[in-house]
Formats: sequence, C-alpha cells, structure tokens
Amino acid sequence: MERILKINSLTKHFGRIHAVNNLELEVFKGQVFGILGPNGSGKTTTLGMILDVVAPTSGTFRWFDDGCTVEARKKIGSILETPCFYPYLTAVQNLRITAHIKQCGTQNIDAVLKQVGLYDRRNDRFKTYSLGMKQRLSIGAALLSDPPVLILDEPTNGLDPEGIAEVRELIRKIAGEGKTIIMASHLLDEVQKVCTHFCVLRKGFKLHEGSVSDTLGEINKVEVSSEDMAKLEAVIQDFKGMVSYQSNGSAIELILKDDVNAIAVNNYCFENGITLKKLLTHTNTLEKEFLKILREND
Amino acid sequence: MIRSLTLEWLKIRNYRVFWILTGMYFLALLIIASGGMFLLEWLKNQGADFKGINPTIIPIYDFPDIWQNTTYLATFVKVLLAFIVIISVNNDITYSTLRQNIIDGISKKEYLLSKLLFIITMAAASVLFLFVIGFINGSIYSQVWGWEYIFDEMEFLIVFLYEVVIYCTLAFLLSLIIKKAGFVIVAMFLYTFMFEPIATAVMLHAPYFEGTIVRDIAQFFPIEALNKLIPVPYGRYVFLEIEDNVSITAIFIATGWFVFYLSSIFYILKKRDLN
Repeated sequence: MERILKINSLTKHFGRIHAVNNLELEVFKGQVFGILGPNGSGKTTTLGMILDVVAPTSGTFRWFDDGCTVEARKKIGSILETPCFYPYLTAVQNLRITAHIKQCGTQNIDAVLKQVGLYDRRNDRFKTYSLGMKQRLSIGAALLSDPPVLILDEPTNGLDPEGIAEVRELIRKIAGEGKTIIMASHLLDEVQKVCTHFCVLRKGFKLHEGSVSDTLGEINKVEVSSEDMAKLEAVIQDFKGMVSYQSNGSAIELILKDDVNAIAVNNYCFENGITLKKLLTHTNTLEKEFLKILREND
Repeated sequence: MIRSLTLEWLKIRNYRVFWILTGMYFLALLIIASGGMFLLEWLKNQGADFKGINPTIIPIYDFPDIWQNTTYLATFVKVLLAFIVIISVNNDITYSTLRQNIIDGISKKEYLLSKLLFIITMAAASVLFLFVIGFINGSIYSQVWGWEYIFDEMEFLIVFLYEVVIYCTLAFLLSLIIKKAGFVIVAMFLYTFMFEPIATAVMLHAPYFEGTIVRDIAQFFPIEALNKLIPVPYGRYVFLEIEDNVSITAIFIATGWFVFYLSSIFYILKKRDLN
C-alpha cells in the first residue's frame, strides 16, 4: 500500500511540558485516520508539526515518501481549529490567495463555494460571517485544490447540527473517492462514524493504534427479554451459539459466538415457543474502548 | 519571485487601509519634494534674508543638486512607508494568516521573500515618483539645463532606495518581535526621531566625550547609519562646499545592519511556533 505519511519519534517540548513524546505513526493511502485524545494530549501540536508551523524538538516526518515538505503541503487540504482568513477580504478574494499558494488555479472557486453553501455570500467580507460560515469557508479552502490528503482538526467545532451532519457526509464522500484523511478529534462518536483507523494519544504518548473495525469487532452481544423471563432463561441456557449469558431479572445479556447473530437468537426462541419482547444488538462503542485504553494505561 | 510578489499583491489590493496609507505617503513625498520654493517664498514674505540675499534665489532645485536635496528630505517620510510594512506584517500575525500561508504551501523563506519584494517595490515606486517630481521641479526652477546635469548624482536616488529598504526591513523585524502594530509604530517613530537622534547628538557633540571612542561609536547606530547615507545637503548654500558624495563607510555599516535584520527575521520565522 502506498504510504502517505511516516512519523519517526517526533517530540515537542514546550519548556517543561512534553506535548508530544517519541510519536511513531504511519498513514497509508485511503485511510481515514483518527487521532484521539483528551484535551491537551498533543493532537493539535502533532498536526502543527507535520504541517511545519510548529518546530519539532526532535524527530522527523515524511510526506509521500519524498523530501520536500513545501511541495507536499500544496497537496494537503487542511482545516484547523480556527479558520484563518483576511477579514477585510471577501470569500472569493481569500480563496484566490489560497489558490495562488497552492498553484491550483482559480477555476474551482465557484464550485467549492457552492459545495459549502457560501456561494450567495461569496462577495461579502470574511469578517461579516458567522463562526459556522467561517468554518465552511475553511472547508472550501481545503477542498479548493482537490487534494489527495485532507487534515482535519476538530472539523465540526462551531457548526450547527446540520453543519455537523454535512461535514460527516463530506468526509465519507471524500474518503469514498480514495482520498486519505487524517483527523484529530475528541468527539469519539464522530471518529467512530467516519474513521477506518485510529490512534489514542495522552499527554503526548501514543497509547494505542489500530483499525476501528478490529477494535470494535471484539464483542458480539445481544440483549433479550420476554413476558416470561423464567421460561426464557431456561430455554436460552441450551442455546448452542452462545458463549455465556447473564441475567439481571428484567433482561438477559448473551455473548454470542463470532458466526452467530441476533436472527439466530430470535429464530431459536420462536421455535421454542417464546415471543421476544425485546431484542437489542449491542455494538461496541469507541467511547468504551477509548476509556478502557485510558484505564489500562493508568 | 513574481509568484511571491503576486501573493503580497493579492493580500493588499482590496485592503482600504493600505491604499489610504500609501496615498498619504506619496502625498507627503510630493509636498516635501516640491514645497521648497513655497517655503522660500514664505521666508521672503516674512522678511528673512540671508546676508542680504533674497531667499528665493537659493538654487535648491538646480540640477544635479536637486537629487540630494530631494532625497534627503524624503528620508524623513520613510517612516510612513515603514508603517505600511508594519501593518502588513502585523495583519499576517494577528489574523494567523502567516500560519495559514505556511500550511497552504509556502516556505518561510518564500514568506520573507514576498515581504522583502513588497518593500523593494514600494521603495522603487518612491524613487520613480521622486525622480518624476524632481524632474518637473528642475524643469521649472533649474538655472542649468542639460542631460549631463540632469543625470548627474543619480546615485542619491539609488541610495535613497537602499535606505528605505533597510529601514522597512527593520520595521518588518520589529513587527515580528513585538506583534502589536500600534506599539511598533509608536516605538519606531519615537526611536527614529527622538531617542536615537538625541543619543547620537549627545555622543557626537557633548564636550564630555571629546576625544573618546564614543565619538566614533555613534555612526554605528542603526538610524544614524542610515542618516549618514545621504548627507545633509544645505550646507552648500552657506559654506559653499559640502559632502556631496555617498560615503562608502556609511554604505558598509548600513549593509551590516541590513544583513543582521534579514538573518534575524529568517531565524525568528524558522524557530517560532505559529499558533
């Protein structure tokens, strides 16, 4: 697989604070890579270093396996926490500067502004925009050069629910085009919904790295209940496709074998004369995993 | 080169503050370069006379003296051009667009180059403007005429360009260090017109420093080094002979400062974390 980014023992100290410690990371083409971590865990510092605005204390990184980071940055669309534009310029004028730096021509400006819903306001000055609109403009700027790599830092900060949904849709769409996305977030739900791979940072140390589906695929749990709980429990004890079960009086939780799903449970109960009142498939959440990872490393 | 300059142009071309300040700067150049005769007329009407000479016949607009006279006066308004540079650099810092520019794909060297080219362009425009104004004033008032006079002592225009570029580079450096535009503007103004002139005047003229090394040190001060590039021309009308050559020592000292400013800017850009 084509490697997009390789980070070698990247370290950043701000005085006595160790913001990032010996970080090793590899991102491959087509991944949607989430960098997770509590506030102050070094996510933004890491992104700052790989974008050359924060000088690393030590360590190196390589984009696209070639040496020139300036040329690499032209192929990266970035949306960082705060949108940075010239307040006295309009959206179009600001994007012209971006296009000039990225050497990508100005032909995409209108299309991009339509895509992020700012076309009607394109000739208004940036300073008249609301926070959500500013955020949209930075999304537009990141998409302007149709870059193969996108870096997002808390991309849904400051957006309304509709905007959040749109950004997620956009990320999925872009990822669907085979592009690579690196995003930092503390919103686990967000990462779970869009990311394929993730790593967890805390206090500048990498605690975990892996694929989202591997991490979440570990459990296969179903919760059932019926009118007659005693009968249900008696019947369910003999269910072959189950690893273990646990009853809490009002419901029974089953841990199923890997190849068994909720349909099999429902069929089995029905065949044994029980009509289920509730059948709930539990998926693991990244939030639980995340907290588990943090706990394990305490 | 063109790319870096275009970047600067895109940033300022729709920026009203820039155009207002630029307009004020060129207006100030115009007034200072062509106000001489009006001043002399005024002196005459006030009854001033110089050892019985009518002030209006003092040949301040004669070729080629006009070039030294005009550029010497014009260096007093270079501070206005420095303000434009300060505001332009400061905008990139306060709006975090310096950071954004880097993220989007320019190197820090290109950023320095784009600001430096902007400064050189503005300085070159000033020189061109002064040349045109000087040429017009000379055509009206000069008592000598001829290409060999008109194009003599052109070096003062070149040195003026150099002086303005170095001064604006200092403004660039200070804006990066201090980050607050208003503060840099006040500091630059006070230092250029008060602190350093007073300090160097004391060093050069106080009897206490007679014959000490302090006398020699004064010429190395940053503003004094620039002031020495174009010597005060008006002595020629009193003493009939003055320094009307560009001092090579002054050029060396000024160049030393220029190199220092540029390397400091580069060092700061390289080391600083942009947030």
